[in-house]
Amino acid sequence: MQYAAVTGIGQTHYKARRGDVSIAGLVREAAQNALDDAGLGWDDIEAVIIGKAPDMFEGVIMPEVYLADALGCNGKPMLRVHTAGSVGGSTALVAASHVQSGSFRRVLTVTFEKQSESNAMWALSNPQPFSPHLNAGAGGYFAPIMREYMRRSGAPWDTGIKVAVKDRLHGARNPLNHLQMPEITMKEVEESPMLWDPIRFLESCPSSDGACAMVIADEALARAGPRPPVWIRGGAMRSEPTMYAGRDEANPQAGRDCAADVYSQAGISNPRKELDCAEVYVPFSWYEPMWLENLGFAEQGEGWKLTMEGATSLDEGGDIPWNCSGGVLSSNPIGASGMIRFAESARQVRGDAGDHQVDGARMALGHAYGGGAQFYAMWIVSSDQA
Amino acid sequence: MSELLRQQFELGYTYTRSTGPVVGRFLTELRRRRIVGTRGDDGRVYVPPMEFDPVTATALTEFVEVGDHGEVVSWCWITEPRESHPFDKPFAWALVRLDGADVPMVHAVCAEQEEMRTGMRVQARWVEEPRGYITDIACFEPEIQGGAA
Repeated sequence: MQYAAVTGIGQTHYKARRGDVSIAGLVREAAQNALDDAGLGWDDIEAVIIGKAPDMFEGVIMPEVYLADALGCNGKPMLRVHTAGSVGGSTALVAASHVQSGSFRRVLTVTFEKQSESNAMWALSNPQPFSPHLNAGAGGYFAPIMREYMRRSGAPWDTGIKVAVKDRLHGARNPLNHLQMPEITMKEVEESPMLWDPIRFLESCPSSDGACAMVIADEALARAGPRPPVWIRGGAMRSEPTMYAGRDEANPQAGRDCAADVYSQAGISNPRKELDCAEVYVPFSWYEPMWLENLGFAEQGEGWKLTMEGATSLDEGGDIPWNCSGGVLSSNPIGASGMIRFAESARQVRGDAGDHQVDGARMALGHAYGGGAQFYAMWIVSSDQA
Repeated sequence: MSELLRQQFELGYTYTRSTGPVVGRFLTELRRRRIVGTRGDDGRVYVPPMEFDPVTATALTEFVEVGDHGEVVSWCWITEPRESHPFDKPFAWALVRLDGADVPMVHAVCAEQEEMRTGMRVQARWVEEPRGYITDIACFEPEIQGGAA
């Protein structure tokens, strides 16, 4: 397998509404920022890999067709990736594999969502014949899974509140974020409306407009670029059915397998010790302790302890900061959210994460999940090639 | 014995769409009964305007006003209009290349079938109160001799 590295990163500002641009204009902005970051023009790109959440969200059927000119795809291969909420991560991995395979030397990968023009909330849970309409949305779907995690771990009731505060304090360090809440308190989160017990309003992700893009290149082109290469040291995807007898929805097997695979590729045996930080898909607060266990940062039933001790907090000097960028809880353009995790992990090891930089970060995890917590995409990036 | 059931159901949601600065300008100009396109990198004028050059991917920012008269490049006759068609009587869907544009756009032509031909000159028939929709141009109709702008 050929070496591949991130050589350009581009994001838009994340906002409740970008009424000033079309969907094409929004996607283009992130792509152009990534090209500028890599010191490249449109002709330097050999293929374009695009991802977004399901078409039903914005009601634009096959948006990749409409976006071909905005992304300079004329005369080039263009490929769309579909894996629900994890799509931002899996799109980056498909782009990386284009280079790792040796088939392409330099590719552009882009993901987006324009939630202000979409109907993501209800298009997530379509009615079906012969059944009552669940109409739950993501929060309603995940709430009982979080409740089960609380039961089996005995975690304190306010663990989720702590995550909500921690990620927003991180997020206030990142000017790109939709939510800017530098003064947020535990009490404020606790008093926010209960949406889907046990998840309160402020324990939930916002609905954002935005796009994220990266340029991924082979070893020689990466070394020739203006930025320090971010080496992709491992990449893995796993999936499992939404429902089956015996499925552990609070700690899915596909997530554990995906993590084991990506750690093995990167030579990691103790993620908490060997990684400097992680960008993990936490759209609802309780998913931090759940994923701390699923991803092997803590023993079963112990994930909440890391959260409550401040181990995942930049502000509390934690040893393994999670979501220094502010995470999905601070900005959530769904289709892009996974790629933002991947891109922010790359920014950390490149040392240009601004006020949310982890000092001296050399190795980081990017993570995304989607569907009924059934699709997983993860990568490990490092400033060291091997 | 079991019955294999089938049931129809409807699926629909409401959405919003933002035009952005290029298509937005095109639609806004229609309110003033003006038609604009954008100039591509190779000098070609695209109407309706494109945000990005289809060949080079450059963001296109130069707007060019074109005429509301033009030429039929190709067409398809609708013999029996249906409920969702814009007219009760037979008409043509046509590709119309406006004067000053280098590419045609699709619109309706209201004419007699015998009049329709490739290369025929047409002119826009504007609605009474344009509001920024493509339907502000009710249709194109055969050019009135000597009436070209």
